[in-house]
Amino acid sequence: MKRNFVTDINKIKYEVNTEVARLAYEGKLEEKANEIPYKIIPGRKPRYRCCVYREREIIRERVDLASGRISPNSKSPNNIVQVIEAACQGCPINRFTVTNNCQMCLAKRCLGACNFGAIKFEDGHAVIDHTKCKECGKCAEACPYNAIADSERPCKRSCPVNAITMDEDDIVEIDESKCIHCGQCVVNCPFGALSDRSFIVDVINMIKNGEEVYAMVAPASSAVFGPDVTTGKLRAALKDLGFKDMYEVSLGADFVSKHEGEEFLEHYEKGEKMTTSCCSAFVTLIRKHFPEDVKNISSTVTPMTATGRIVKAMHPNAICVFIGPCIAKKSEVIDSVTLGGADYALTYFELLSMFDAKNIDPEDYEDEMQQGSKFGMNYCIAGGVAGAVLESIKESGKAPDVKVRRCSGTEECKKALTLLKVGKLPEDLVEGMACVGGCICGPGMLEKSRTFMKDRMKQLAATDDRGVNENVVQYDDLHVDMVREDVE
Amino acid sequence: MVIQICIGSACHLKGARPVIQRVNELLKKNGLDDSVKLEGSFCMGECSDKVKVKVDDEIFEVLPEEVDQFFETTVLGRLKGTAQ
Repeated sequence: MKRNFVTDINKIKYEVNTEVARLAYEGKLEEKANEIPYKIIPGRKPRYRCCVYREREIIRERVDLASGRISPNSKSPNNIVQVIEAACQGCPINRFTVTNNCQMCLAKRCLGACNFGAIKFEDGHAVIDHTKCKECGKCAEACPYNAIADSERPCKRSCPVNAITMDEDDIVEIDESKCIHCGQCVVNCPFGALSDRSFIVDVINMIKNGEEVYAMVAPASSAVFGPDVTTGKLRAALKDLGFKDMYEVSLGADFVSKHEGEEFLEHYEKGEKMTTSCCSAFVTLIRKHFPEDVKNISSTVTPMTATGRIVKAMHPNAICVFIGPCIAKKSEVIDSVTLGGADYALTYFELLSMFDAKNIDPEDYEDEMQQGSKFGMNYCIAGGVAGAVLESIKESGKAPDVKVRRCSGTEECKKALTLLKVGKLPEDLVEGMACVGGCICGPGMLEKSRTFMKDRMKQLAATDDRGVNENVVQYDDLHVDMVREDVE
Repeated sequence: MVIQICIGSACHLKGARPVIQRVNELLKKNGLDDSVKLEGSFCMGECSDKVKVKVDDEIFEVLPEEVDQFFETTVLGRLKGTAQ
């Protein structure tokens, strides 16, 4: 399989993950981890930075993160997303600057727009007095020539919950009491200064120790590892990687749809509103930033926990590893240790490195499977979760007139949650997804080919049309509970 | 109070899962499941022959069969200490 990366940042991250995975499989990680920076950054001429020594320090910090460790200097030690200090460029912090597009016009709308007296003129050009500027952006909006540039630091701009600040040396810091682990800063920092900790080494150690390690692949998995790579092929490849077997999280998603549908109807009949609970970043957004709305979160477990419980009901000694496009699922694993669901979470990006470390290409395998319904498989697309919940309600013979608000991306989620908080939300059911477009646009995805959606649709078209509820009923004997309460 | 139990592979193999289960049971039994936060943690480093458990910011080492004693002295002991 040809490896394409959107940026060199992803390429470097992939190279580090692959080296770490290879050494972990060989059982030589501790002994040889300090050789990785020299392997990835050879010679004495720098490629990206001021010198190879800084480049190697960045690799060394990345090796730590890939091994699940953090810098002893970390200011957010409990966070999934960490700062790679040596990689932070300390971008200029003056947000608005006047560019030489300024035409020295007569209207001077920038001057009129500024409420803080921060615009002055030197030789006819507008200049911003940064001691007065409050970064409201009115001047930039007012300029008819777009002459005022907004150069807010990309990390800060990408963060939907204002969890990013700068220290006294302009190096990025994450406020872990605010961070929702959505991964937007990881994707958006042009210097790759933010990255997520990994469970790769833990998973490989479990496999090597002969534990019963089960993979649980997210609904977004179809066509991720190649146009023809179905969940069947993926299952065969994962078994060669050392996993005992693989399950589709779309199966757990079906359980969630049925349970959440029943739960929603109870609330609906009482005139209460409910939010979905599948997206960890969305749920964390509510818990940390909209505590008044916590009572509205569905008490149903996530599809990840649901699938983990199903697997453990069948195989009590199972170690369950969620694999998907999401960084926030790693924090869900940490937060939900008492729920009896997933034990570890990996991204597709990390799985790619595990495959390459063992020279395994899922394209080369043949197998077929289907565990989830089409509705469960569409959990990864904005609108798909609410669609599946409503489908389950429909299948149960009920037809309430439900108004649904579908929030694609954290900004839309925040709007809906604000309305919910003040009792002004017109809709009954809120579907919240932190990633715009849904999980298939998540930060742990691989580079999507132009035909990705078409390839995915083609694979889904080949699956059968089982209903949500009939799929769940098959597993009734397992008596798997879907309530977000601790498993006794 | 926050109790973090390491779920890294080394701690898992030494019984992190039963340690988590037992601590959770004891929290519930003592009516502390709302006031004490129990969560997992990435590898805390310096892996030993016991499961690493962090209470607030101090790291302890516990085996599954030592949980009851640990809970009594460290968790309840500290809570009583702060209550005084």
